[in-house]
Amino acid sequence: MSTMVISQFSIPFLMGNSLNAWSDALAGFYLFGLPLGLVIIAAIPLVFIALYSLTYGVYGERKISAFMQDRLGPMEVGKWGILQTIADILKLLQKEDIVPASADKFLFVVGPGILFVGSFLAFAVLPFSPAFIGASLNVGLFFAIGIVAIEVVGILAAGWGSNNKWSLYGAVRSVAQIVSYEIPAAIALLCGAMMAGTLDMQKINILQSGSYGFAHFFLFHSPIAWLPFLIYFIASLAEVNRAPFDIPEAESELVAGYFTEYSGMKFAVIFLAEYGSMFMVSAIISIVFLGGWNSPLPNIGSVALNDWTNGPVWGAFWIITKGFFFIFVQMWLRWTLPRLRVDQLMYLCWKVLTPFAFISFVLTAVWEIYRP
Amino acid sequence: MQELDTAGLGSVRVTRKSDTVVILEKDLATEQMVLAMGPQHPSTHGVLKLECLTDGEVITQAEPYLGYLHRCFEKCCENVDYPAVVPYTDRLDYLAGMNSEFAYAITVEKLLDIEIPRRVEFIRVIVAELNRIASHLVAIGTYGIDLGAFTPFLFCFRDREIILGLLEWASGARMLYNYIWVGGLAYDVPADFLKRVKEFVNYFRPKAVELSELLTENEIFVKRTFGIGIMPADVAINYGWSGPMLRGSGVKWDLRRNDPYSIYPELDFKVPVPDGKHSVIGDCLSRHLVRAWEMDESLKIIEQCIDKMPSAEGFNSRSAIPKRIRPKAGEVYGRAENPRGELGFYIESDGKSTKPVRCKARSSCFVNLSAMKDLSKGQLIPDLVAIIGSIDIVLGEVDR
Amino acid sequence: MSEYFGNIKTGAVTIATGMGITLKHFFNAIHRKGDAGVDDVDYFRQVDGLCTLQYPREVIPTPANARYRLYNNIDDCIGCGQCVRACPISCIEMETIKVAPDDMAACGKTSDGQQKKFWVPVFDIDVAKCMTCGICTTVCPTECLYHTPVADFSEFDRSNMLYHFGNLTRLETEAKRQKLAEIQTKALAEKEKKAAEARLEKKD
Repeated sequence: MSTMVISQFSIPFLMGNSLNAWSDALAGFYLFGLPLGLVIIAAIPLVFIALYSLTYGVYGERKISAFMQDRLGPMEVGKWGILQTIADILKLLQKEDIVPASADKFLFVVGPGILFVGSFLAFAVLPFSPAFIGASLNVGLFFAIGIVAIEVVGILAAGWGSNNKWSLYGAVRSVAQIVSYEIPAAIALLCGAMMAGTLDMQKINILQSGSYGFAHFFLFHSPIAWLPFLIYFIASLAEVNRAPFDIPEAESELVAGYFTEYSGMKFAVIFLAEYGSMFMVSAIISIVFLGGWNSPLPNIGSVALNDWTNGPVWGAFWIITKGFFFIFVQMWLRWTLPRLRVDQLMYLCWKVLTPFAFISFVLTAVWEIYRP
Repeated sequence: MQELDTAGLGSVRVTRKSDTVVILEKDLATEQMVLAMGPQHPSTHGVLKLECLTDGEVITQAEPYLGYLHRCFEKCCENVDYPAVVPYTDRLDYLAGMNSEFAYAITVEKLLDIEIPRRVEFIRVIVAELNRIASHLVAIGTYGIDLGAFTPFLFCFRDREIILGLLEWASGARMLYNYIWVGGLAYDVPADFLKRVKEFVNYFRPKAVELSELLTENEIFVKRTFGIGIMPADVAINYGWSGPMLRGSGVKWDLRRNDPYSIYPELDFKVPVPDGKHSVIGDCLSRHLVRAWEMDESLKIIEQCIDKMPSAEGFNSRSAIPKRIRPKAGEVYGRAENPRGELGFYIESDGKSTKPVRCKARSSCFVNLSAMKDLSKGQLIPDLVAIIGSIDIVLGEVDR
Repeated sequence: MSEYFGNIKTGAVTIATGMGITLKHFFNAIHRKGDAGVDDVDYFRQVDGLCTLQYPREVIPTPANARYRLYNNIDDCIGCGQCVRACPISCIEMETIKVAPDDMAACGKTSDGQQKKFWVPVFDIDVAKCMTCGICTTVCPTECLYHTPVADFSEFDRSNMLYHFGNLTRLETEAKRQKLAEIQTKALAEKEKKAAEARLEKKD
């Protein structure tokens, strides 16, 4: 499978366009004996997170929420307020970096860092294109599920270190929530892994390619695949603290939850981490259930739409588009729904999502064994 | 198995195996945390401070602290003439200025014993009911925010904006009207006003349905409010609750019906009380539903008023206003149904002065808030927020 | 069990309904409600779509009878001081000088032909204090004091919120005051003289 040759041209001709060609070429790039290529590989997702959260994450969300609420949204800075986020960043940069006097200074400073690292590390195994993946692990999916748990440490450090009662509540709630929701999320992803028979992200993608486009996606692979898809989507909302599961930062209850005391760039880093994880879970769901970098368009007779829209560059386009679509759904939900209460959140996790995740797990296994 | 309570260390569950004591389970020594909620907190609706004693997320005791917005309303009233009190009453419940003015005006009129032109009464009822809708829109919208739904809030404010525009057109000001004067009105309504109000009623009906689909019927919203903060009817009466709060507990008590004033007896409207089918009687959802239903009733009242409105011919809105208000010695208590409950004014006159000797406001929010301690016991923090939101306090009226 | 599934079902249905509503609004965002005032005939023409305005450039017009910034047409002011007495928060400050008999013509008449009997060198309104209740305007006998529909008059310096309407310069004020004082002293002297004469007559 891994020898699959991608027929279309790619822009960096020098690197070739076979599977993982770009990242392999970069990994082998040394300058003065230093692994500069590896640094570039790591920097690409970082730049991507920064750019996307600046444009779509902040500005897009503000505009989308505004339109849903019959408002105009930011309009003042630049045409249609396009430069608003830049202005916000400038403001955040100028802000005094306050560490409260009674805070645990080490934890307070380290918290946002761990939080960001947690969400950023998962980008290592996200295939951004057939020709690019940070680290082609054979346990990529497992790594992605596992590494996100580091975020919990960051949140707890931030909340505890702030020495603020609201922050503490937010941190404790967040930990309980994330740890609980890992279970249905992991089981739902396991269904996907079962359908693929591998945990390697690139292989999961390759298994979903074919000339019928979307028909090869795992979402349409079995009659119950929509159930783990839905379960993972709901659970991922809770994992990234998005509404209606945003109880760790519930602004009407806990002021701002675990980042109540943060200001300036530390606050920005927390937000960056949040947007990073938003894209991360959206990318994972689109990789496992919606074909990742595969084009959804089918070949219709001689109109080979699927062939035309596949390839390394197209791949990057498709996975980012799919990720953005799920982020849009996240925003859409956020601006529609009220917030759940802590016990209802746990009810939903343990009494609804987890049993259904198990059911879908068993059914998927049965389907995989007795598939016609 | 037995339980030992070691001093200060929490309870320890132990069992005996032959002679040795085996500790099965030991609670950590816990203590309760004091949580100061407010006066700077997003969901205390202003400057209310709640000092909560919390055990984890469970509130064992919550004590409201008031007075951050105290502006000496009653003392101010003793130093200005009777008509000059009206702008101050606007500032009591600033979300329903017309209703407060209405209550004050009928109180002083009772003291003076004067007859009011019928058209004035109709206009008063229209503007008061418009303002009731505006006030309930704020209540419902901010309740949505308290529970995490931001969008309904902006929809509410969009529609409230239209009402404020209408009232600005009639009175000249958007929130602090000084429109309903003792004995009359500041001005007659503009020529097209009634037509526009009718258009507004037609505009608002589908928007109210949309609002209820978006917020009230949402399962998460129902789950957050259903059975939370239940107040039995008898306790509510003992606390002196009034308005939507009392009706939420199932008591059919509306001053527009039970102690009728103005032209309300001539109008056909229902007093909505929860039926126990949609909600537990007396819980947060009941209070919310009562507000939503009341908006419908207010729309009905407005429509009837427009239909029955006497013509403007030869009408002077100030014709019955006394030149100089100097009531004979005596005291009076007048009350009106405000969006938040019974707003009453107790006024004492010495018969010589043009200023009230004493003007006491019986504020509904203050009385409703007094039950906070009972309501919040044993609730979670998110439920406490839901309860405060359902009481719908306006701190301007609580602290006066 | 049926309750369990029923709950899940109502949850899903109501969430879908809510999402439908927000999505409808999202697509309605191509329309804008515009800045028609409520007194506009077409006010309810466009009810969907974006309803906010970009404030300093687009403004909801205030109706003609709106009560915002207080303005005094000093040419019509007779200096009676009713407004000062009526104001519940004493935001109007006024000083008057009686007009000398030979100055009556110079002081002029109000627009409805009433002879002004007072110079008003100081007529200060602290619009920062003013709560736009409109009580002063209703007591004003010449209707020279009124609220204008100008709603936005924010200032960076609070002292700019003190609006001066007095129509005399300081020198003029001084002159008028002196003149009045002279007249008064003259009148007083005359009175004393008369009184003295009267006393003399009595003695005689």
